[in-house]
Amino acid sequence: MNVIELHNITKTFGKHVAVDDLSLAVPRGSIYGFIGPNGSGKTTTLRMIMRIYFPDRGAIRVLGEESHGAAHDRIGYLPEERGLYKKMKVREILRFYAELKGRRDFYQAADAWLERLSLTEWANKKVETLSKGMAQKVQFISAVIADPELVILDEPFSGLDPVNMEVLRECVLDLRKKGSTVIFSTHDMAVAERMCDFIFMIYQGRKVLDGTLDSIQNQYGQDTIRVRLAERDGDLTVLPGVEKITDFGTLQELRITPETDTQDVLESLMRLGRVTHFELARPSLQDIFIRIAGPEAEKAAALSRKLEAAHA
Amino acid sequence: MRKMLVVAVREYQAAVRTKAFIVSLVAMPILMGGGIIAQVLLKDKVDLTDRKIAVVDHTGVLYDAVAAAAKKRDAERIFEATASGEKKQVQPRFVVEEVDTAGRNEDQLGFDLSEQVRKGGLFAFAIIPVNALEPPNKETEPSGAVKTVIDYHTNTPTYFDLPRWLDSVVNGEVRRVRLEKAGVNPQVVATASTPVPLETWGLVKKDASGKITKAQETNRAASFVAPAGLMMLMLMVVMVGASPLVQIVLEEKMQRIAEVLLGSIPPFQLMMGKLLGTVGVSLTISTVYLVGGFAAVSYAGFAPYFPTHLLWWFMVYQALAVLMYGSVFISVGAAVSDLKESQSLLTPVMVLIMAPVFVWGNVMQAPTATFAVVCSLFPPATPMLMLLRQAIPPGVPAWQPALGIVLVLLTTTLFVFAAGRVFRVGILMQGKGAKFGEMLRWAIRG
Repeated sequence: MNVIELHNITKTFGKHVAVDDLSLAVPRGSIYGFIGPNGSGKTTTLRMIMRIYFPDRGAIRVLGEESHGAAHDRIGYLPEERGLYKKMKVREILRFYAELKGRRDFYQAADAWLERLSLTEWANKKVETLSKGMAQKVQFISAVIADPELVILDEPFSGLDPVNMEVLRECVLDLRKKGSTVIFSTHDMAVAERMCDFIFMIYQGRKVLDGTLDSIQNQYGQDTIRVRLAERDGDLTVLPGVEKITDFGTLQELRITPETDTQDVLESLMRLGRVTHFELARPSLQDIFIRIAGPEAEKAAALSRKLEAAHA
Repeated sequence: MRKMLVVAVREYQAAVRTKAFIVSLVAMPILMGGGIIAQVLLKDKVDLTDRKIAVVDHTGVLYDAVAAAAKKRDAERIFEATASGEKKQVQPRFVVEEVDTAGRNEDQLGFDLSEQVRKGGLFAFAIIPVNALEPPNKETEPSGAVKTVIDYHTNTPTYFDLPRWLDSVVNGEVRRVRLEKAGVNPQVVATASTPVPLETWGLVKKDASGKITKAQETNRAASFVAPAGLMMLMLMVVMVGASPLVQIVLEEKMQRIAEVLLGSIPPFQLMMGKLLGTVGVSLTISTVYLVGGFAAVSYAGFAPYFPTHLLWWFMVYQALAVLMYGSVFISVGAAVSDLKESQSLLTPVMVLIMAPVFVWGNVMQAPTATFAVVCSLFPPATPMLMLLRQAIPPGVPAWQPALGIVLVLLTTTLFVFAAGRVFRVGILMQGKGAKFGEMLRWAIRG
């Protein structure tokens, strides 16, 4: 059963189309990753799911309801723009959010969460005394304190140090284990690859990717070679059938055309230096993201727009 | 409803549990009554330096009366008996001296005396004209001609006691001399001029048994203070209670708390929660002041004049006023992006709130006139002006407050509804604030 169903939704702000004819289904119990460049429509989509914004066209069903209330007690929401009442104490804030969601017996849950996120001794301190990372953890707890069936997290890991990021990552995985469905948006492709059952990418308001990591990578095939060369003598651009080279310093990623024989590439590489690593791979999510939304794609899109205009 | 109450309780606690709230609760009456308290405290801080005045008496007969009056004043009026029975000087002495003109012309004399004032030897000097004792004659003194006046010269024109005293002394003597010249006994005139005092009473009524009861004497101070006090209290509570909403909403918007809240509660309920919390805060403030006011009035023995019968009206009007104005304050807070921007939008709102203060004098003078009735039925002014009229004896016909409440309810609903729409759009907008026209568009289109 799907927890969220978006049917052809469109949202415009003035002349700007923020979300364009978008459809999406999020199955219960999954972790769904939303990716896309800044300003592509992620936050607008999440706000429409939360019914903070209403779509101009299309229908939204959340937890089986086409409810018109702007919020839902069974949904936990951590927005991208975060803020807490500075003068309130941590426990008071958690009580406030629990009560807003209709939870009266919040104490046990609050204590458990505070302990898990190492905030117990801050429970009775005012928010203004917390560090940024701590405040972010408090904000996370306030989103999940009422045991929501659906958790929507907009950039939950941004600004966290690696230790806290790891703690929060485990918390998110645990939420799924307990039966919650989790949607989160992120700019960290490695996190999305590791954590998400499904990945959805939106670009310029339109859906450009939607599926499991496997299915997305399969669309692109094994067109990537990762190589390490010792004592390199010469330029990799001379290699046959190579479309694009991404240099990571000690490691290079080559994108090859479909008709290229990888053996020919290996042979050419051996002439250039001592090959210490040669791996046939599917493109990473990062690579796919850049192929869709990077400068190359921008240029291609601009060119096609120009051609269309010329033909018209 | 539950969520609205959760928000209302939080708003109420956030406002009432701060030190700033307690301080402002105490500070407000001190500020308002500060003038009176300062006067009482500073009563003894009077400059008792002798005020020396030189008198040029061209009539040649008035100076003696002035000198005698100064002596009498110094002996009788500048002292007060202290608790221990000692005499304590509370006003400065007026020391008068006669000037010998010594053949100097008017200009030279004026200059010489002015120099003395400049050097501090004199506080002031006065010139009594030669014809001061002659009654004014319209034929010899046509308009435009120089009038007969006493010239009082000083370098301290803000000190009024001395010229006032001199004026009264010289004119008293002038009147006495003129009456004597006319062959009238001044004593007879004084007796004949004694006024008959006027007392203000209410209307004569019949009691339940049909017996006619005596009218009650109207206490002028009380019948003025009670209505004006209630109106001012409401104005103050609306200002203190509701106007912080601009800042509260603006902070939530700028500190991005708004979106977190909107993840849990619809915008309209969020706004209503805030409004209800603010109504609670304002009722707390007014309850404190009304209880305090009643205690003070009872202590002073004026308890019967306390408008107890209007307290429910006061609370209802005040709750509606806070809802009405609070919704406007909330819309402004949601629409702008900093406090500075809010100022220009708030100016017309403030004028609207203050409007009753501009007309309350006219309304008090003629509380039943059409002007007063119309003003008090103009919804933004109804809470203050209708209450004011109800507090002035004998009150207003029952239909007027009833109609007033209905109109205010309709206006409040409209304001709250429009504010809800502005709030929903404005609260998530970042960057430049909205102009009035934009707010109006949001309110109409939704």
